Amino acid sequence: MRALVLAAGKGRNLSSLTETRPKSMIRLCGKPFLQYTLENLREIGITDITIVIGHERESIINYFGRGDNLDLKIEYVIQEEQNGIGNAVLLSEKRFPIDEHFILAYGDILTSGNIFKKCSQSFNSLRAPVASIVLTPVAHRYGNIYMDEAIRIAKIVEKPKRTDLGNYVLAGAFILPGDFFKILKENECDMEQAFNLLLSLQGLYASIWDEEWIDIGYPWNILSANKIKMDVWDRINISGKAKIEGYVSINGPVWIDDDAIIKSGAVLEGPCYIGKNSYVGNNALIRKYTSLGMNSVVGYGVELKNSVLFGNSWIGRLSFIGDSVIGESVKIGSGTVTVNEKLEDKTISVAINDHVIDSQLKKLGSFIGDFTKVGASNTLLPGTFIHSNQIIPHKGTVEISEF
Amino acid sequence: MCGICGVAGKSDNKNIIGKELLTGLLNLEYRGYDSCGVATINDKEVIIRKNIGKVQEVNVLERFDEIEGNVGIAHSRWSTHGIVNKINAHPHQSCNSEFVVVHNGIISNYKELREELISKNHKFLSNTDTEVIPHLLEELYKKTGNIEKALIETLKKIEGTYAFAAITPLSPGTLICAKNESPLMLGIGTNSNYICSDINAFIEFTRHFVALNDFEYAIISKDNYTIKNVYTGEVIHRDVQFINWDPELVKKGGFSHYMLKEIHEQPQAVRNALKVVDREEIDRAAEMILNSGTRYMIGVGTTYYVVLTAQYYFKLLTDLFIPVISSDEFDNLADVEENTVVIAASQSGETYDTIHALKAAKRKGAKTCAIVNAMGSSMSREVDLPIMQNSGPEICVLSTKAALAQIIILIRIALSLALKKKVITSEKFEEYEENLEEFPAILKSVIDEKSGFIKQIAQDCCKIKNWLFLGRGIYCAIAYEAALKLKEVTYLHAEGMSSGFMKHGPISLIDENMCSLFLIPPKEDKKTYEHTISNVEEIKSRSGFIVAFHFDDDTSLYSRNIKLPETSLFLSPLVHLVCSQLFAYFSAVALKKDVDKPRSLAKSVTVA
Repeated sequence: MRALVLAAGKGRNLSSLTETRPKSMIRLCGKPFLQYTLENLREIGITDITIVIGHERESIINYFGRGDNLDLKIEYVIQEEQNGIGNAVLLSEKRFPIDEHFILAYGDILTSGNIFKKCSQSFNSLRAPVASIVLTPVAHRYGNIYMDEAIRIAKIVEKPKRTDLGNYVLAGAFILPGDFFKILKENECDMEQAFNLLLSLQGLYASIWDEEWIDIGYPWNILSANKIKMDVWDRINISGKAKIEGYVSINGPVWIDDDAIIKSGAVLEGPCYIGKNSYVGNNALIRKYTSLGMNSVVGYGVELKNSVLFGNSWIGRLSFIGDSVIGESVKIGSGTVTVNEKLEDKTISVAINDHVIDSQLKKLGSFIGDFTKVGASNTLLPGTFIHSNQIIPHKGTVEISEF
Repeated sequence: MCGICGVAGKSDNKNIIGKELLTGLLNLEYRGYDSCGVATINDKEVIIRKNIGKVQEVNVLERFDEIEGNVGIAHSRWSTHGIVNKINAHPHQSCNSEFVVVHNGIISNYKELREELISKNHKFLSNTDTEVIPHLLEELYKKTGNIEKALIETLKKIEGTYAFAAITPLSPGTLICAKNESPLMLGIGTNSNYICSDINAFIEFTRHFVALNDFEYAIISKDNYTIKNVYTGEVIHRDVQFINWDPELVKKGGFSHYMLKEIHEQPQAVRNALKVVDREEIDRAAEMILNSGTRYMIGVGTTYYVVLTAQYYFKLLTDLFIPVISSDEFDNLADVEENTVVIAASQSGETYDTIHALKAAKRKGAKTCAIVNAMGSSMSREVDLPIMQNSGPEICVLSTKAALAQIIILIRIALSLALKKKVITSEKFEEYEENLEEFPAILKSVIDEKSGFIKQIAQDCCKIKNWLFLGRGIYCAIAYEAALKLKEVTYLHAEGMSSGFMKHGPISLIDENMCSLFLIPPKEDKKTYEHTISNVEEIKSRSGFIVAFHFDDDTSLYSRNIKLPETSLFLSPLVHLVCSQLFAYFSAVALKKDVDKPRSLAKSVTVA
């Protein structure tokens, strides 16, 4: 069986974090999102993979190439214009034989275990098209599934108007017949119509995914995804090439990658990840659910909590970064604080693409795009977004005259 | 309580017997799962493999699927006598390996038999009651020189409950078995014949079954079987039943657990309880109650709460108070006379306590009726009026769809009785019937559209260790069942209680660490609603954490809530029931518990 992976999306609501990369190249624990999907496919024996790419596609091609490093055969199809999932799927029509089932995977979902394994088990026992489905209390954002007693999907309703639905929704993993492309073409690339036709013609069975599942719609979903990945760790994993000085405290499942340097007095509270060639300075406190991408530098006395750093970033001494996502090659001056809660006991709302969105979270820090420099002693309020390539000046209390 | 199965197969296809027995064991695993084992006769050689653990785990160690043989038996155990270890696992054999036995039940006089056999130089390896059977067979075979005679003499000596099967190298193609009280069926295949504790075991291989009655034994070969009575020696000819369940039905399909699958099957189970269950049977049950002097409804575990719920329905619909008694206490409380009627509910039809109570009532001349899901089960043969609920196989140890279908059938009986007693008019009767017919669609919308919210609350609240489930009136009966579901599957402490009762003592438990789950009735049920709300306020004022399942829009009192879709007033409690089943299920999944096989529980409790 071959697989089609959709990775062309920009992630409109991810704001500053996807200005310089496709959604699927967001990095967690040292690996891009897309790599988790590809590794899951490889685990069930799928090696022929077609990836649909679009926005900032060079980063995907440069990273994965033809898939040699992952023992995969990867081909790319380019979607020039972001005009919907149906169009993205149809671009690959010629690459898939009409009489063979194929796997369709959305590149922006993340699961705790291997969702494709479950999906293909269901396919093998039923020998009929299968869609993975998952339960969510925010069902109105997705394709809603209604099924009969025999777990056959009876009806799919895309993004229903009712908001009081806590329903099963499409989870972004399918096993479909080769002639699905034909059905899709006849329905003008409308996925909802094509699915509804497929289920009336050939039947489409549900495969319930009851482990963790997340789709990256908003920036804070990156933090939840990070938590999902780390929650399954049950042991300490320290590379033999890491250099750890004396008096470092390590508690819980901490993962330290090759050539990382941990200086004396640092405290690491697992689960957390210290990427390749990173530097954690003296007396730094790395708290739960922190993921430091490769080549990160964390200065003296810095506190990090529930945050994702993509890599190559520099956090100056005595700073606090909590519930935040920091892009690549970001420089944060010393003594900078990301405030992560409101004084009144309320959830934090933010403006994304001119819409005010309630994150439903009481703790939310800042989201900083690639190559931005934040000067020393800044205080970033809850839910701050900073675009890529920005310079935020130092905050001084004594005025000096410029020369 | 255990499961046994056996195959008498074709001699030219000896390598499939291990695979067939493994399939049988996996299908029977829900009956008990602390250890299992397989024995076959391969020409003259006896092969026995057994170990402790679940079937798949043991198969990895013992490779059941690679065993060859002409005939074979297998056993999955849930221990009653003797600790769980490899030696106590079945099959058991006699001193010279001439007889190998698997057994389900309890041999009550095993101590005397054991001493007697030890005095005749028999050596016992385990401390199980079962082991006396192969030794007895061997001893009596020595005396009689005939396998069938040895079997008859053995059956005359042993007392207690049993269903057992034996194989012997003395006759490599034959399987012998016998039963008293514990269930045993013969499966009639095209190339092989089978025996099993229930029809799930070999549903993949045959759909033709013959039930064995108490004090009967059978001698089975690959293409023949004979059933005889132990005491009269008479050959018994009984019709072969054809089972039309789809074998795919007993598989999980895309569901992760049978419990969730069976919750999703509830609309269909209700439809079957309304359509497939014959009106004539319902009317006969109502007639039985009408003509009775005293009457009781019994059940134990979930089925006790089923009859407790039905008690409220009988009062509501027919204005008749029917005492309900937990089956295990029936002897101690019930006053049984000739004009007494006892109505029981049991999914498996093999529940020891309920069968025992029914038998006791029958002996005193009472009329009995049972609502049962398993066809051909002991209870369905024992009672005067068996009502088959047709809910399809229920594999998860926790009962969901079978319990709901039983309530629906009891409501139908209550409606029929109300009509006969002229408590309701025929127009009102039809209105109730219409409400019942619309009910599966309401259930489906709860399961489809509320599951996501219920899962969210279950995930958020699964770390809470102490729960009170509260309701008033009939909602109190549902609260008991909801609490039972949660404790069975999550091992958390949950207590069901009438919220009126709560004030008289248990309220002292309330603090921020105690979670109260309220089943709030619809506003139309004014009195119950207002009383329940005042109980909610009492708990709120003691800063208790409150989860509520409710129908109205006001959510200000609750810490967490699920708004349920409206239905006709008298069926509202059953919407709560389904909601609480889902709540228990998602809590267990969040806590990573073994949903379908909770610790220490077994599907049908066939011991006292």
